Amino acid sequence: MKGSWNWFWKGGSVLLLTYVVVRGFCTPLQPGLVSATPSQLSVAPQVVDLVAVGQPFATSEDLPASFDVVLRSGDQLIRTDVVAITPHSVRIQIDVPPTMPSRALDAYLFTPASGTLFLGNACFVEDAAKGDVPPEFSASAPDPQEPDLGFSFPYQPNIMESIRNLLWHVPMWFAMFFIMGLGFVASLAQLRTDSIGWDMRAEAAVKTGLVFGLLGLATGSLWARWTWGAWWVSDPQLNGALVTVLLYSGYLVLRSAMGDDDRVGRLAAVYNVFAFVMLVILLMVLPRYTESLHPGKDGNPGFNSYDLDNSLRAVFYPAVIGWGALCYWMYTLRLRMNRCAHHLLSR
Amino acid sequence: MNALLLLNSLEGFFFGSGKAHVVTGVALIILAGIAVSLWRMDRRLSQLEKESRSDKS
Repeated sequence: MKGSWNWFWKGGSVLLLTYVVVRGFCTPLQPGLVSATPSQLSVAPQVVDLVAVGQPFATSEDLPASFDVVLRSGDQLIRTDVVAITPHSVRIQIDVPPTMPSRALDAYLFTPASGTLFLGNACFVEDAAKGDVPPEFSASAPDPQEPDLGFSFPYQPNIMESIRNLLWHVPMWFAMFFIMGLGFVASLAQLRTDSIGWDMRAEAAVKTGLVFGLLGLATGSLWARWTWGAWWVSDPQLNGALVTVLLYSGYLVLRSAMGDDDRVGRLAAVYNVFAFVMLVILLMVLPRYTESLHPGKDGNPGFNSYDLDNSLRAVFYPAVIGWGALCYWMYTLRLRMNRCAHHLLSR
Repeated sequence: MNALLLLNSLEGFFFGSGKAHVVTGVALIILAGIAVSLWRMDRRLSQLEKESRSDKS
């Protein structure tokens, strides 16, 4: 019975992670606008190219007439003519009005198949005067459409393709919380019973959790470099994560410094209970009370929409379960190894 | 924009195709990390095996 259960969860974690890797890399990204050239405009008729990334928003057979581009200045809309279209770009002709409420223009591209694509601050008009957009230049918004984008990941400005990292970086931390929680329970039990069995469980949990914590830090740092522009930013969430990993490294230092002292189990257990309380405070409580670049907190709209995106959710939840199970598997291997070592040394 | 990015090959590699390579980098870090952790356990187990063999003899 126990054997078949082992087969079930270990095989299940491998299957889940295979599904996550395949789905995570093969699911297309929804289209999003990334640039407008030229972005500096002057008051005159001119041609602008808008470029998109992600899956194509048009096919080569589509006609420019079925697409519509509107520029927004403040709360007013400016008319444009779509002159050419390719799967990833659209060329528009604009008659730039002499007066407008704001010189910074946002672009809206209305497509029949992919819905509305938005680019904030797409263009800047250097020589426009402040005022209302004259009626002959203004536009009205087309009817909103309900596009069917199929199974695809949402487009986020700046994050773009790297939204797939959600399936790698975030589950590292979930797995770490899970296994450190297990270590916390083991340390509490160790303090009650003072048995070597619980001590070995706590040690195996902390060592496995640290692997995942370090991987979370390294992957987060790489991701930060290409979204925020720096390997590390001084941010409550990031620094909290670093301090947590350092605290747990202290646990290992404490153990090796104590050597074969009989009190090592109890001391390490006290330290581990303290470290887990700090983990909860540093990673779950404190970042909620401060401003943070890191998503998942109040005050940062960056990733709020992924919470609602069913495609991403359908891969993210299996990823959390799969990585968690793999982490537990690594923990059991380490625990069995430690038991063998203890058995050998105490003979 | 792409021509500018290609001046710096690392920037070009990660930004070039809409940041898809950042995901590759992250995936490789994780696989490498898990591999290193398994390799270290493997080494410790080999050591234990050796000790148990020398105990028997």
